Amino acid sequence: MVVAAIVSVAALGLTARPVGPTDSSRPPTFNHDIAPIMFRSCAACHRPGEAAPFSLLTYSDAKKHARQVAEVVRARSMPPWLPEPQPLKFADEMRLTDAEIDLIQRWVEQGAVEGNAADLPPQPKFVEGWRLGEPDLVLKAEKPFILPPEGTDTYWNFIFRIPIQQTRWVKAVEIRPGDKRFVHHANILVDRTGSLRQREAEPGAGFGGMEIRIESQVFDPDSHLLFWKPGTVPYVEPDGMALRLDKGTDLVLNTHLQPSGKPEVIQPSIGLYFTSHAATKLPMLLQLENDAKLDIPPGRSDFAVSDDFTLPVDVDLLAIYPHAHYLGNDIQALATLPDGKKETLIHIPHWNLNWQAVYRYAEPVRLPKGTTVSLRYVYDNSENNPLNPNHPPVRVVGGNKSTDEMCHLWLQVLPVNFDPRTDPRMILQQALARHNIEKNPGDFEAHYNLASMLQANDKLEDAVKEYEEAVRLRPDDAAANNALGAALVADGQPRPATALFRIALENRPDYFDAHYNFAIALTQMGEMDQAVAEFEAALKLQPDDAGAEANLGATLADMGKFEQAKAHLERALKIDPSQSLAQENLDAVEKAINSR
Amino acid sequence: MPWGTFLVRLPLAVSLLAASATVPGSAVDLDGRPADPLAASSGKAVVLVFLRRDCPVSSRYAPAIQKIAEQNAARAKFWLIFPDKSDAPDAVRDYLKDYAYRLPALRDPEHVLVKLGRVQITPEVAVFDRDQHLVYDGRVDNWYVDLSRSRHAATTHELQDAIDAAATGKPLAQKEVRGVGCYISDLD
Repeated sequence: MVVAAIVSVAALGLTARPVGPTDSSRPPTFNHDIAPIMFRSCAACHRPGEAAPFSLLTYSDAKKHARQVAEVVRARSMPPWLPEPQPLKFADEMRLTDAEIDLIQRWVEQGAVEGNAADLPPQPKFVEGWRLGEPDLVLKAEKPFILPPEGTDTYWNFIFRIPIQQTRWVKAVEIRPGDKRFVHHANILVDRTGSLRQREAEPGAGFGGMEIRIESQVFDPDSHLLFWKPGTVPYVEPDGMALRLDKGTDLVLNTHLQPSGKPEVIQPSIGLYFTSHAATKLPMLLQLENDAKLDIPPGRSDFAVSDDFTLPVDVDLLAIYPHAHYLGNDIQALATLPDGKKETLIHIPHWNLNWQAVYRYAEPVRLPKGTTVSLRYVYDNSENNPLNPNHPPVRVVGGNKSTDEMCHLWLQVLPVNFDPRTDPRMILQQALARHNIEKNPGDFEAHYNLASMLQANDKLEDAVKEYEEAVRLRPDDAAANNALGAALVADGQPRPATALFRIALENRPDYFDAHYNFAIALTQMGEMDQAVAEFEAALKLQPDDAGAEANLGATLADMGKFEQAKAHLERALKIDPSQSLAQENLDAVEKAINSR
Repeated sequence: MPWGTFLVRLPLAVSLLAASATVPGSAVDLDGRPADPLAASSGKAVVLVFLRRDCPVSSRYAPAIQKIAEQNAARAKFWLIFPDKSDAPDAVRDYLKDYAYRLPALRDPEHVLVKLGRVQITPEVAVFDRDQHLVYDGRVDNWYVDLSRSRHAATTHELQDAIDAAATGKPLAQKEVRGVGCYISDLD
């Protein structure tokens, strides 16, 4: 039995560990056979203070759950590891061998015996407290979330405002999700514009929601997968791969919580570890998706969705993060290399949202330019899918609610072998936006993103066309109207831009950028009084914006209001002494005042 | 051959005998006094709910169990049964408070009630009619599919059906449906 199992393990390509008594006449014991498996593969979570509901560190602990352990390892639901074995290895694979599983079964069947004390290996040593030592900066959620005692899965977001005055580089983030027993997983999102703060009822309160969207104004793609699941050891980025944190950046912790039967207080902390080494390698998160194709009829058990994207540059694939909701069943990603060779990137035959995870490859996976990365997801919207949130099943479409469905695959890639005069991430993102438009011409975000990248590459006319398409798709969208307006201003067309800023501000009166850009357009048209009013409106929203102060000063100077101009220019320089244009203007204004 | 038949029947005979016994023996209340939940239930159906404090599935059921007990208070008397012999009475009291239980609790260190109710897992229930006959033993409902998956909401409600059957005398389609959770035999 044991021999056969070891052979099949070797055939799977896993490392066969020496397990168990080769003499199958002797019953397996905890001390000799089971403790080594539990210490290595279970105890990281199954020990006091950790995520698991009970400890497996001692014989009496293990004995009290012996049949349960046998059952869950046989079903391979523990340790929780969803992907099938594959040639491309993941780091920290939590998979028991067939021989180990067999041994646990026999131990339980034969009475769960303790065995000889001399056989017991020493208990594993775990680092208590912060795993990487005391962090450079510890932040605690301002207000706890009270998880109700009953109900279905709950999603709560905590905003951490980072109190830094200058840009810092982060080599590791340790997430302490609050009471680990009730947090299934947690993700950190980087919000560089504070765009999610408006979702909080009051500052620090946090907000609900499973899927959240972050707005960014400049081309600054997400680059890191900051993820926690039970048993996670914080990941330290290699040198040169640090995450940039600027003043005003928020880290938003998205948590997936499961009610326990009593109210629970969830108040996470995060620990940041800084490095003096700025990022020199810039990875990027590539997203394959096809939510638009999700329209799953009730009863359908094999609804297939795909997406195929061909890489325009060479990359190293570092990590992968598949995401679907409760109907997701067979989840697969593969790469077809330029020579036609196919590689499975990940295959999860029985998706379980509760155990979603970021999977990091043991070694970077080189995917040359011309490689097609493919997503193949199959959804089960039948009555036979016990996780189906609807009973009886109903039609389900793509969306952000947990009862909607999703078809996402994130790939963390690091561009390699590129022309140093180009930004390979921009090339990737543009190719992806064009791919998304081809796939779905009504994809608002793809048009918007493509436009912003074209604008960043000084292709203003093309950018205007794409922004126009975005505005056509969502005529009331404040961000799109503002962006189109800004592009027109940059193109020397302030007059048509003003109507767009007005639409943006009608839809979002507290939109700083729209006030600011509107003011710039007005100065170009010589409407100085109105421009001053718009700059003032902008400053009311963001009083410490040096650019708005400097431009207000310049506008007032242009109007001959030198004393007022001086005050604003001085304030701009106080906020940001590096504003050289403000300094030049201030010198000129002072000269004008003195020459009176 | 008659010996063989006799041997096979023996455990069944014992369990039938136990099910109709009026003094189940050594279940104890939280003050350590012997308690007989069947005798103390005066004319109502009796529901024994078996729980392990260290079983997260058991614990997650607390609001549901409390609710079913309240909705059926007129026709069924509920008891929470803790079969872990290492449970201290104060630990059980704290647990009841934490999970907002307002139901009487007993400890069953000898597994007298476990055997009487034929349960194997926490959380499972044993439902007796007013004549103290075992009507149903097994899961509360089908909320949990297995230890790593639960439905958004249960779609079958075995405990409620069993209480209805105990009240009306109508037979149940399934008198026994095993639960998902933690094995009581692991406590032996």
